[in-house]
Amino acid sequence: MRNRFDEQLNNLNNELITMGALCEEAISAAVKLLIENDHVMKENVLESDKQIDQKERDIENLCMKLLMQQQPVASDLRTISSALKMISDMERIGDQASDIAEIAEYAYGSGMQSEIHIADMARATIRMVTDSIESFVKKDTELAYTVIEHDNIVDELFDKVRSELISAIESKTANAEALIDLIMIAKYFERIGDHAENIAEWVIYSITGKHAKDDE
Amino acid sequence: MNSKIFRSNFITSLLVLIVTIILIFGVLFEYFENQLTNELKSEATYISHALENEGEEYIDNFKNEKKRITLIDKNGVVLADTSANEDELDNHSDRDEVKEAMKDGSGTSVRYSNTLMEKTIYYAVRLDNGNILRVSTTQQSIIVILLGLIYPIIIILVIALIITLILSYRVSKSIINPINALDLEHPENNDTYEELTPLLKKISAQKRHINEQIRTAEQKQEEFRLITENMTEGFLVIDNQANLLTYNSAALKLLDITDVQEGTVLMLNRTKGFRDTVHRVLTGEHSESTINIDDKHYNLIANPVYENDRVIGAVIVILDVTEYTNREKMRSEFTSNVSHELKSPLTSISGFAEIMMAGDVPGETVVDFSKTIYKEAQRLISLVSDIIKISELDEKNSGFEQEPVELFELSKSVTERMKPVAEKRNITLNVLGGTAKVMGVSKILEEMIENLVDNAVKYNKDNGTVDVIVTSSDNTCELVVRDTGIGIPQSEQSRVFERFYCVDKSHSKLVGGTGLGLSIVKHGAMFHGAQIKLESTEGKGTSISLIFNKA
Repeated sequence: MRNRFDEQLNNLNNELITMGALCEEAISAAVKLLIENDHVMKENVLESDKQIDQKERDIENLCMKLLMQQQPVASDLRTISSALKMISDMERIGDQASDIAEIAEYAYGSGMQSEIHIADMARATIRMVTDSIESFVKKDTELAYTVIEHDNIVDELFDKVRSELISAIESKTANAEALIDLIMIAKYFERIGDHAENIAEWVIYSITGKHAKDDE
Repeated sequence: MNSKIFRSNFITSLLVLIVTIILIFGVLFEYFENQLTNELKSEATYISHALENEGEEYIDNFKNEKKRITLIDKNGVVLADTSANEDELDNHSDRDEVKEAMKDGSGTSVRYSNTLMEKTIYYAVRLDNGNILRVSTTQQSIIVILLGLIYPIIIILVIALIITLILSYRVSKSIINPINALDLEHPENNDTYEELTPLLKKISAQKRHINEQIRTAEQKQEEFRLITENMTEGFLVIDNQANLLTYNSAALKLLDITDVQEGTVLMLNRTKGFRDTVHRVLTGEHSESTINIDDKHYNLIANPVYENDRVIGAVIVILDVTEYTNREKMRSEFTSNVSHELKSPLTSISGFAEIMMAGDVPGETVVDFSKTIYKEAQRLISLVSDIIKISELDEKNSGFEQEPVELFELSKSVTERMKPVAEKRNITLNVLGGTAKVMGVSKILEEMIENLVDNAVKYNKDNGTVDVIVTSSDNTCELVVRDTGIGIPQSEQSRVFERFYCVDKSHSKLVGGTGLGLSIVKHGAMFHGAQIKLESTEGKGTSISLIFNKA
């Protein structure tokens, strides 16, 4: 019979994976809504976001309980403290996915999303989120480092989308409102990318005890 | 074990040592006392002789000696004493040794001093003149002797203790070492201690029993492994913490995982369906769900495992239902297609009939309408007969007799029939090649060739050519139908064998295609185990080859 602490840590791991998977679902549903205008997805995003918020509270409680009752040390303490940090990043991803879902339908109306690189950006962001969760699940620091690398791609894509939108505004070919919505969506993606990067950093911290940025 | 044996060894030796010392002391003390009494006796004898010869004064020679000599007359009055003034001594007639001597001639007695530190041994003897001569000596008591010997005794005990310690240690070691060195792999081959033989026999029996059980367990496990590994279904066993316990390679293949780490099953897949299934099954419910990975569909069936009314884990089976799902989809598409295809001719038939029913239609228009109705009805008939053919081919065991068929002759007769249609558009039909015999059903083969040639004519340009080439090699026969028609775009080539699929619906309708021709060819080829090859360039022509195994 394994002791209670191990069981609780196990549970924490499962809950984190679940929360991560919910984030993946939220962001891919938001992207489907934006690119394919699949209206059913809006409900999915909002539902996922609600679940993500709930999970954040659950995991927070679990972590607090673990800290108080078990007084963990060394790597266990690292696991729990990085879990606490990770869930706030995941929660932000959920929020931003639902923010995207809120304005996606207006942005879709302009028809601009096919002309700019927003779909590429969405794909790159989804990949970052998926890989960061995957690196956590598999305890794979190498993958976590590639997520951190990948953030540059999303940042570059953001600059590209931004200049594309500027020239669209200058040429006055499209509905200005939709263009503003699109720049916000692009910014959301960029933020999600940052959060995914944070998650990857916490994964590295929880495994190695070192902050990824320290190596630079 | 060692310490216990050592301790009992040590204590036993120590006890034996102490008891021996006590006993020896007892025996020795007794011996000394006897010795002393004998000495007194002989001394008394000497002195009595001397007294008789020399007289009372002789006693005075013994003053200041360790021994005390007393001369007592027959009434008990002390006549002389070597260590005390005879006048001060009281009457001695009541002393035991004196009484005894008066009665029997000699007597002994032993008296302890008040402090018990000493004892005095008396020996009295009656002289010939009736006087009593008493000789006595004092001896230290056993306690005093012991006290006096305490240092040597302690030293001896300490030395004995050390020796006992060393020996006990040695002995217990030498008892234990062979036991530790027992070869338990082969218990019966040991002859260290005879005493251990029954134990070793027991161990050996138990060992055989255990080996038997291990072998059975291994065999069971191997069977289990073989079964699960050869299952096409994925198989996962998890504990109540959702940790992965067992899996088979099919599960990994289905879930598209290359390596598995120890830990939670959510590592394998974390989609909603999978998560929910795992979650639900661990609450003790049977649960099922469908998950999609890439373009594959999987059914998850999970059953909880109970022990003492508590869920201790779950078994999850993963079924690949992609084919089933696709077939379902195709079937429903086919049904809706059939209904649609059947409905359009019926609509026009019903429409024209309705107009004619109203009366009011001039004669030549009636003829026109009837022509259209006839045409549409013909189309319906050909559609229905095509559908029937496909259904027949679908049911593989529809009772067709296989026989050797001559493809070349068959092709010739089919093209002959098609000639009138082809000539209308000035299309040349050629049959080339030589004889080729295959095993098959001539009716179906004829149908296939007819459909191929029909398509080649229908989708040909005016003044084009259609070549039917029949060749045969060592193992295979090949039938190629080549046209110079409009061709099939690259992107559509994979779909033309689907039912009701037409590259260009309006053109097909114009030439009277049902969209089932190539589907029939495909089903026929499947029935005969033949391969189909399609080569086509848009605008230039198409060539479809059927490769049969030789009869």
